[in-house]
Amino acid sequence: MNPFFLALILIVCGGIVSLLFWNKPHFVRTIPVLSISGGSVAGLFSALNNFSAPHNPGVEWLWLGRFPLSFRMDPLSAFFLIPVFGIALVAALYSYDYLDQPKKGLRSAANYFFFSLLVAAMGLVVCADNILSLALSWELMSIASCFLVLYDFELKDNRQAAYIFFIFTQAGALFLFAAFGLLYAETGSINLAAASTLPDSLKLTFFLLAFVGFGSKAGIFPLHIWLPHAHTAAPSHISAFMSGVMIKMGIYGIIRFYLLLETKSLIYGQIVLCVGVISGIVGIIYAVGQNNIKRMLAYSSIENIGIILIGMGLGMFGVASGNQALAFWCFTGALLHVLNHSLFKSLLFMGAGAVIHGTGSPAIDRLGGLIKGMKFTGTAFLAGSLAICALPPFNGFVSEFLIYGGAFLGSFFEGPDFLVSALAIVSLAVIGGLALACFTKAVGTVFLGEPRSPEATRNHECGKFMRLSMAALTLSCLAIGIFPAIIVRPLTGVTATILKTAEIPRTELLDLCHHISLGAAIFLALTLLVFMFRQYLYRGKEIHSGPTWGCGFTRPTARIQYTGTSFGAPLQDFFSSIAPLHEDYSTLKGPFPGAASYQSVPEDRAEKVAANGVAQPVLRTLKRLRWIQHGNIQLYIAYIVIAIILAVIITVLI
Amino acid sequence: MRTTILLVISLLLLPVLAAFIKKVKALLTGKKGPPLLIKYFTLAKLFAKGSVYSTSTTFVFRFMPVITLTVALTVLLFLPLAGSPSLLSFRGDVILIFYLLGLARFFTICAALDTASPFEGMGASREAFFAIFSEATLFMVLILFFRISGSLSLSGYFSGENAINVWRPEGGLLLLVVAALFMVLLTENARVPVDDPATHLELTMIHEVMILDHSGPDLALIEFGSWAKLYFYAALIANILTPVIEGRPWITALFFLLIITFIYFAIGVMESITARYKMNLVPKFILTSFAFAFFATILTMELSR
Repeated sequence: MNPFFLALILIVCGGIVSLLFWNKPHFVRTIPVLSISGGSVAGLFSALNNFSAPHNPGVEWLWLGRFPLSFRMDPLSAFFLIPVFGIALVAALYSYDYLDQPKKGLRSAANYFFFSLLVAAMGLVVCADNILSLALSWELMSIASCFLVLYDFELKDNRQAAYIFFIFTQAGALFLFAAFGLLYAETGSINLAAASTLPDSLKLTFFLLAFVGFGSKAGIFPLHIWLPHAHTAAPSHISAFMSGVMIKMGIYGIIRFYLLLETKSLIYGQIVLCVGVISGIVGIIYAVGQNNIKRMLAYSSIENIGIILIGMGLGMFGVASGNQALAFWCFTGALLHVLNHSLFKSLLFMGAGAVIHGTGSPAIDRLGGLIKGMKFTGTAFLAGSLAICALPPFNGFVSEFLIYGGAFLGSFFEGPDFLVSALAIVSLAVIGGLALACFTKAVGTVFLGEPRSPEATRNHECGKFMRLSMAALTLSCLAIGIFPAIIVRPLTGVTATILKTAEIPRTELLDLCHHISLGAAIFLALTLLVFMFRQYLYRGKEIHSGPTWGCGFTRPTARIQYTGTSFGAPLQDFFSSIAPLHEDYSTLKGPFPGAASYQSVPEDRAEKVAANGVAQPVLRTLKRLRWIQHGNIQLYIAYIVIAIILAVIITVLI
Repeated sequence: MRTTILLVISLLLLPVLAAFIKKVKALLTGKKGPPLLIKYFTLAKLFAKGSVYSTSTTFVFRFMPVITLTVALTVLLFLPLAGSPSLLSFRGDVILIFYLLGLARFFTICAALDTASPFEGMGASREAFFAIFSEATLFMVLILFFRISGSLSLSGYFSGENAINVWRPEGGLLLLVVAALFMVLLTENARVPVDDPATHLELTMIHEVMILDHSGPDLALIEFGSWAKLYFYAALIANILTPVIEGRPWITALFFLLIITFIYFAIGVMESITARYKMNLVPKFILTSFAFAFFATILTMELSR
């Protein structure tokens, strides 16, 4: 454990140093980038060392002489540490160029400080071994991330985003603390492992409380409301880190707590699977309608959380029904998707960041043709889009392939469970189709075609460090996609320890990986052949260039192009009951109409319900109690005195 | 060996089969129609030409023909023909196949958007939209096939002991699947009533409009790829319908080719007697195929007890 803590200390030190020397432009970025990336590399090594060490002695010490904190790294924690440190490393590199804003020295320094805290807190979350240490590191993570969202605090939208985020993290934490309280009240132990001794009747309540708490962090529908706001407001490397890694802490919590319960009831799988299906489909439907590129990516994170939950839910089915192969495939697939999503989603957020950096606009419908000026970013974003649509030969395909494989095994169930398994397969297919629509829209509108606005014309390619981090992520997506065995082999060990079985169908899984490699190799070889054939056909031929065929229209402008909104319109229309479009249209009036305007905003159902159904009534009720709060200090002191007297009287009476 | 020979014959037949649909349509409307070898001439003509590229386009546009053709050829490698196993096969290859077809679709859509043409954008939008439903049907069919054959590869579905075939005792319900797959075939290959390959109005097209700007050898590659894709779907259906005659593989192969021809004939007839749907009716059409597949799967649930 020691190298791990040293890595965390190194990371946090970088943040502190940056904060101390905020007015020295050389220090503000160089020191924290060096120490965060150095610490991340060290952390990666310590995680890899513990990958196959199921019985690692933990570390324990007393905090404030009274509260025992304990941390332990088992293979599951070690696995989650890989995206934590891996993405922290690339995000830190990326930020070197991205935060190159000399006038905002203090702000960048604060950003590095909270970023380092966030990385360290996540490291602690996945290693926490009792409820105190988990609660502390969880809160540290939440608070650090709230401050990170506030980077551009002058904008009202961003302050509002941070506020919503804060409310959600704290409300989610309340549910977690309720689960902890239940555990402590029932077993008298603060050790997480005590959860397995809970009576069966309480296990489900305990799990549901924790599921809501962790789920709000993971962004399951309908607890996702904070996610699109926070991810849009944060600087891009932070969005990448939050979407790639932080929401996975919710997934980690769900897996960990499920395993702690050691239960074999079917209901857990059913709950997780259904929530996964809903989050997956609703998330991607919302994503298609978005016009802000980062908002779109945020909604697509909800979809991917859905896919992970589908895998986990099926895995829980397997555990409950004693179908080892099903459990093994689906858990491995879900875990692999955690890693894969952290890679390609960070890549996409970084690409989006480069677009915003290069053009100043995040609005998809105002961009276009960027790949000509930003060839590198465009290609990387294209690769990330292919990966997130789970298309071979990229990594997203491998994890979905494993989940599909498991789901098909599950389709041998009889009765309602068969329907659930079939539902999982069909919804994965539908999610795949919707993701394809969503990301062809993003790539096609932002990077291809002609620029739709002056901002899009003035684009410029991003700096070397930004390109370096995107290149690293693209290559890892491709590497896992073509050679899945390198990551699946160690991953099977993790799955085996968490499922506590010795007999695992490992060879079968590795065979599959080889098949995927074979498929990718055949496809790439054929691509090369066809490409050479095409070159042969074009040998010595005349290649002309001219304008696009306008179908008889002679004066085309860039504005006649299909926009992202029009591309997604048929879909939006079809799913309007789930994702309604709010339209404002000032109709033309009179024989000589003046200027007219049209505006459409995709509405988030859950957000609307939360605002109108929860927040407004609460505010109305609380408004009636405003008279208590009058600003008179003397009376406030009187309240305190009265409260103390009442408390004393009540305790004496009882 | 038999599969290789059949595959080569199939590849050679692709242009003829594509022309066959045209011929059927012409004959049904009282015209003479082009010769059956017309598509060979078209290919030769396109191969001999150069190309004009729009100044709006990028490498995505030029890469798309390569990807679509490669995907179609790769998919054919996994295709069992007339009861004999495919050249390549592994557990789970069906998932790879349908995701590879997704990859081809991704590039087709992107290449269309790359041209900055509003018409191509329109086609791309529809292509992305309709595919969602046909994928749902396809995976529903895969679930059914998995339950019948216990296998997750095309070869496992259509060859060997548990081959999926209409002529087997429980084959009746496969007729529903055949109907569903035929509807998916029409959708995925841009045929009437979803799309009209023969239309002259860009506003109403889907697949044809997305390749408006491609020319010369690039267009030839795309065309050949789309014929191969159509053949893939037709062969899926033909594999279900072909009666496998024990010990007489070549007769089986003959039946197979006849059924393939019949499917192409059916496409031609379909295009002659129906009009294309309004765009907002197309999802309902494809979802009907999903209902068929779903219903067939539910039936197996009872049968397998």
